[in-house]
Amino acid sequence: MVLDDKTGAMKEKKLKKVTKKSLRTMQRTRQHHPVRNEARIIKYGAKGFGRNIWLSTAATAVMAITLIILFITVVASVILTSTAEMMKDKIDITVYLKPGLSEQILDNLETIIRNDPNTKSVEVSNSEEEYGKFLKENEDSDEIISVLDDEMKALMIAKMQGTMRIKVYDVDDLSSIKKIVEEDIYFRDYVDKEKAPTYDVNQAEIATITSWARIARTGGIILAAVFLVISILIIFSTIRMAIFSRREEIYMMKLVGAEKGFIRGPFLIEAEICGIIAGLIAATVSYFGFEFLAPRLANYGIDVTVIVDILESNKLILVYLMFVGLGIVIGRLSARLAVSKYLNKA
Amino acid sequence: MILLDSVTKKYPGDSSPALDSVSLHIEPNEFVFLVGKSGAGKSTLMKMITKEEIPDSGKIIIGGIDLDYVKKRHIPGYRRRLGVVFQDFKLLPRRTVYENVAFALEIAGMSGREIRRIVPKVLELVDLLDQAKKFPYQLSGGQQQRVSIARSVARQPKILIADEPTANLDKLTTQEIIQLLKKINDFGTTILVTTHNENIVNNLQKRVVTMKDGKIVSDQKNNGFYKLDGSSTTKAPTRPVQIPGHALKRQQIMVNDVTKEQRKSSRKEVA
Repeated sequence: MVLDDKTGAMKEKKLKKVTKKSLRTMQRTRQHHPVRNEARIIKYGAKGFGRNIWLSTAATAVMAITLIILFITVVASVILTSTAEMMKDKIDITVYLKPGLSEQILDNLETIIRNDPNTKSVEVSNSEEEYGKFLKENEDSDEIISVLDDEMKALMIAKMQGTMRIKVYDVDDLSSIKKIVEEDIYFRDYVDKEKAPTYDVNQAEIATITSWARIARTGGIILAAVFLVISILIIFSTIRMAIFSRREEIYMMKLVGAEKGFIRGPFLIEAEICGIIAGLIAATVSYFGFEFLAPRLANYGIDVTVIVDILESNKLILVYLMFVGLGIVIGRLSARLAVSKYLNKA
Repeated sequence: MILLDSVTKKYPGDSSPALDSVSLHIEPNEFVFLVGKSGAGKSTLMKMITKEEIPDSGKIIIGGIDLDYVKKRHIPGYRRRLGVVFQDFKLLPRRTVYENVAFALEIAGMSGREIRRIVPKVLELVDLLDQAKKFPYQLSGGQQQRVSIARSVARQPKILIADEPTANLDKLTTQEIIQLLKKINDFGTTILVTTHNENIVNNLQKRVVTMKDGKIVSDQKNNGFYKLDGSSTTKAPTRPVQIPGHALKRQQIMVNDVTKEQRKSSRKEVA
């Protein structure tokens, strides 16, 4: 005891010195064996998972389900977006040209249209090529083939318009192309006045698809974000309930002198184990579920290639890692929040 | 070993302080009973020692450590130096007896080999070696308390404090626990036990400190006739309170005040 018997008073300075020294020694012993500590934390985390098997199972199940919902949202958004993109890609503007234009003129027309920044690709075909297409489209139809003799062919080629199919980057803004087709001196002469270019006809269709694509993209992102928040909340409250039932335990450990990290550790490990298992379950269920659904969706003309490509390549392991990683992150985060509530009390 | 110097603590919302300028000095290797009714301030005093509560004023020095300097980050390390036993045992419910005792050593960062060496020894001391693999709920109250004691002494602390260790136990097990504490005291550990049970106090003739309304009202060597209401304390020789300096003066004045009051009240009773 740090007391001076003669004066009967404590020697403040000496007491302070001794106290500080003891505290320093205490701090040193605390940081002595990080590896040993970590091993114990993992051991007790794994044991705790087993001993709380019902709560662990419940937490894992909730986590797996939310992860699957999350997966579905993301996949739906991707599929919708890519389907919309695909449909948009199919849209082209057809400009009908006067029949029997020479290659030279067609090339010039193509160059002019290609110079427009909105043009993605241009495909020009003259009257003969159009006739070839016509033949090909109707090769199964005997009735049509049978009436086509040479005379008929010459007549058709003479009457058939050459076409120019233009694909554009921005379907919404066709003004520049419209301007060229209508006002360019070259085009004015060679565009067939009897059959109007199709951009007006396609306008309504283009608008719907564009808006769908936009909805799919932004809606998908929003929905995925909302589901992510919801799943974190659900998992968080499940884990918090699991930890709430063990708050006494946390308090006891604190009273016996356990460091915060040592108390928190096993809880985090338990949550991480839940996360890993939930991630594996969710990834497997999602994988087989999608394998089952993909061909059926494809039948409806929905573009599933992006997802199928990922799931059938060796990127599948990435998908698994993502699920497990997400499980671990969400589990650890929720457990940390839940534990610290009781850990920082008292 | 344990020194409290005019420690005062008032909980917010309470009209009177839970501890009112309490001074107490316990020498190394002493066995002290802290007796008082519930609400007398015993538990608050214990919480001061474990640094669960911080005094409003006054100084606390435990085993050469001035608690003023014990910051939040030091608390776990500081608590590991104390042995603490609780009324409700506070065992970890999901861990076996063995693991509960080992936990105290693991948090101190001991090696597995040391733990495997020490835990069986400690369990043998409390006579529970054959129950090592059981969980707390499979044990009786007395057994659980013995596990709790084993856990607290496993680190061989110089100080063991026990807050109502026998309150939840029957008479026979109470004796067991007290004898066990005495055995630990014989090994050289300073022990502070709170209780409101006169029988245990009288059974073991050790120093008894009585608290009432947040004050220490008597501090004496027990002669076997201790009564909680103080009626038989006149027979016992009053032990001089060994608190150095100004704390000593205050303590003496307080003790004198109370004895005067007690005399008055006993006179009234006679009349």
